[in-house]
Amino acid sequence: MENLDFSEAIVAVARRRDRAAFTALFDHFAPRIKAYLLRAGADEALADELAQEALLSVWRKADRFDPSRASAATWIFTIARNLRIDRFRKGWRDVAVGDDLPEMIDEAAGADDIISDAERGERIRNALRQLPLEQIKVIELSFFEDHSHAEIAKTLGIPLGTVKSRIRIAMTKLRDLVGDLS
Amino acid sequence: MTIRHHPADETLTAYAAGNLDLGRSIVVASHLERCAVCRGFVRGVEKIAGVMLEDMSPAPMSQDALAHTLARIEREPVLRNEAPAAPSWDDADMPACLKPYEMGRWRWVGPGVEMRPILLPEDKVRVFLLKATPGTRLPQHTHEGSELTSILVGSFHHEGGDFFAGDFEDADGDVEHRPIVGKERTCICLVALEGQLKLSGFIGALLNPFVRL
Repeated sequence: MENLDFSEAIVAVARRRDRAAFTALFDHFAPRIKAYLLRAGADEALADELAQEALLSVWRKADRFDPSRASAATWIFTIARNLRIDRFRKGWRDVAVGDDLPEMIDEAAGADDIISDAERGERIRNALRQLPLEQIKVIELSFFEDHSHAEIAKTLGIPLGTVKSRIRIAMTKLRDLVGDLS
Repeated sequence: MTIRHHPADETLTAYAAGNLDLGRSIVVASHLERCAVCRGFVRGVEKIAGVMLEDMSPAPMSQDALAHTLARIEREPVLRNEAPAAPSWDDADMPACLKPYEMGRWRWVGPGVEMRPILLPEDKVRVFLLKATPGTRLPQHTHEGSELTSILVGSFHHEGGDFFAGDFEDADGDVEHRPIVGKERTCICLVALEGQLKLSGFIGALLNPFVRL
C-alpha cells in the first residue's frame, strides 16, 4: 500500500463505495487524526471516537471531494477540524450544528491540478523548512493546540512579549508561505 | 464592494486550525462567505495544516476501531437523500453559515437597537444579530473579552474606521469605541461576544441594566 494515492482512494470510495480503499484511508488517517485531537487536548477515548467519526464522514462525503481543489490530507484535515469545532468542547450536547461550516465552494480558487498531492506536500515541507525552528514551534502550537499566549510563553519558557512578537512574525511568514503556495 | 476590514491573521489562522470556538467560527465564516481574499488565506493555512497532519506521528487506534467503523458504514443508507443546500433561507443578506442554527426572537435592547440570539450549545461566547436603525449612536462601550463583528447590511463608523457590509471588526478587550450607524439604512451585524459588554458614559449607565447581551 505504499505510494497509494489517497486522493484516488477517496474517489474510489465515492464512485464504487470501495471498502478496501476506505480501509487504507482509515489505516493511514485515523491514527493521525487521533494524534491531532490528542494534541489539541482530547482524552484517549474522545480522540479515538472522533477519529472514527471523521473517517465515517469521509465515507459519507467522499463524493464532495474534488482532487483538483485540495489534497486528501487537507480535505481530511478540514473534516477533522470541523468535528473538533463542533464536538470538542465541554458539555457538548447533540444538537444540529452546521457541519459544513467552512466548506464553501470557491469557484475563484485556482485549481492546481497539475501537481500531485505528493508534490504539493513536498513544496509545503520545503517552505516550512526555510523557517527557523522557533517559528515553526510557534506556528505548530497555535495550529494544533488551543493555547493562550500566556500558556505558550510558559510552555516555551519565554516572556509573553516574545511570544506575541514571535506570533506576529510567524503570521507574516505564514502569509508569505500561503502567498507562495497560491 | 470593496472589503477593507478583515479579521486578524491570528483569528483566521485559529479558525483554519480549528482553535476557535463554534461561536467565533460562525462569525468568521460569515465574513469568509463574502471575502475571497480571506478565503484564500484560510485555504492556504488548511493546506499547511494538511501537511502537518500527514507528518504527525500516528497514535494507535483502539483495537476494534476499524471493525467498528466498517460495521457502521454497512448500516449507512445506500443513497443519502441529502437536501442539496436547502434554499429555505429566505433572506439573501443573511449568511449561509447561520442556516443550521436556531434563533431566538428579536428583542429590544435600547433605543433603535434590537438583537436576536443565535442559539448555540455553548455559552462561553454569545452570538447574536444586532440591528440598529440609521443614524443610531450606540453607547460607548468596552468588552470584557474579544468581540468579533461581521457587518451584513448597512454600515457603522467609529474612531477605528468606517465599516460597511462585508467588513469585519476584530476587537479585543482593550478597545473602547462609540459606533454610529450610517444614515443610509438599517445596519445588521453578526456579533460574537466573549464576556459582558460594558457600557460607559451616562447613557451607558442607564442602559446597562437592559443590555444583557
